[in-house]
Amino acid sequence: MTGARRQRQPESATAEREVVISRVIDAPPELVFEAFTQVRHLSRWWGPEGFTTTTRFFEFREGGVWDFMMHGPDGTDYPEWITWTEIVPPERIALLHGESRDDPNSFESTLAFTPHGTGTQIVMRTVFPTKQLRDEAVEKYHVIEGGKQTLNCLAAYVAEIAPTAPITVEKEGP
Amino acid sequence: MARAATTSDAFNAIAEPQRRDILALLRAGERPVTDLARELGMSQPGASKHLRVLREVGLVRVRGAGKQRLYGLDARGLRPVHEWLGGFERFWNESFDRLDTYVQDLKQARQED
Repeated sequence: MTGARRQRQPESATAEREVVISRVIDAPPELVFEAFTQVRHLSRWWGPEGFTTTTRFFEFREGGVWDFMMHGPDGTDYPEWITWTEIVPPERIALLHGESRDDPNSFESTLAFTPHGTGTQIVMRTVFPTKQLRDEAVEKYHVIEGGKQTLNCLAAYVAEIAPTAPITVEKEGP
Repeated sequence: MARAATTSDAFNAIAEPQRRDILALLRAGERPVTDLARELGMSQPGASKHLRVLREVGLVRVRGAGKQRLYGLDARGLRPVHEWLGGFERFWNESFDRLDTYVQDLKQARQED
């Protein structure tokens, strides 16, 4: 903690531990929702360009598990373990996301699908157990995402001194 | 010699190693320029130039304390850098790009059925 950090108070109990990402997709909620419900769909889009997944186990239901390996374009493998805590078609999916069943650092994401004109707005809200874990996830996913190891030091450094406000990224689809 | 203060954004400001050193020192708390210059083995005018750049891009703020001027971190200036680097958001934004493309294909396939 630095003096600079303490100046800002979190806006809510979870504000400094969460990341909110939203996107509008030009398709009805039923169809967007469906893309989250089966491996044959998920394997086509999960992860950035160049990533693939190998699924060991998949059962889409509340309490069900998706146990899979994510393969980065540089050949690195990342174990992933997801369990769904709430499924309300075609409106809402809540899931717990970690590296393994017993991962103490797993975090919860909720995905809300709402009609937006002729399309669907997805709002993904992720709440980490602590601010530190949020910062670590930001850093970890940075490493995963680009495999750009040279930026690690800077990412870690920035995460350490960055402000405590929630990170909100708005991006609209084409 | 410090480089000329030509930068206008946080990305350029932290590209300079000595300015990163200053930010790293300020993480521990506010300091007067003389302290910073001594710790980093810079001249005082050199340190002052770097501090001016860092202030201009909103990474550092200054306040008077008696006869001293104390420099401290103003981490709000790093927010754009943090967001740009933020791998979690990029991971999901890129995933959602692919989701979008995939869902469009799905939509078209269903309409053809």
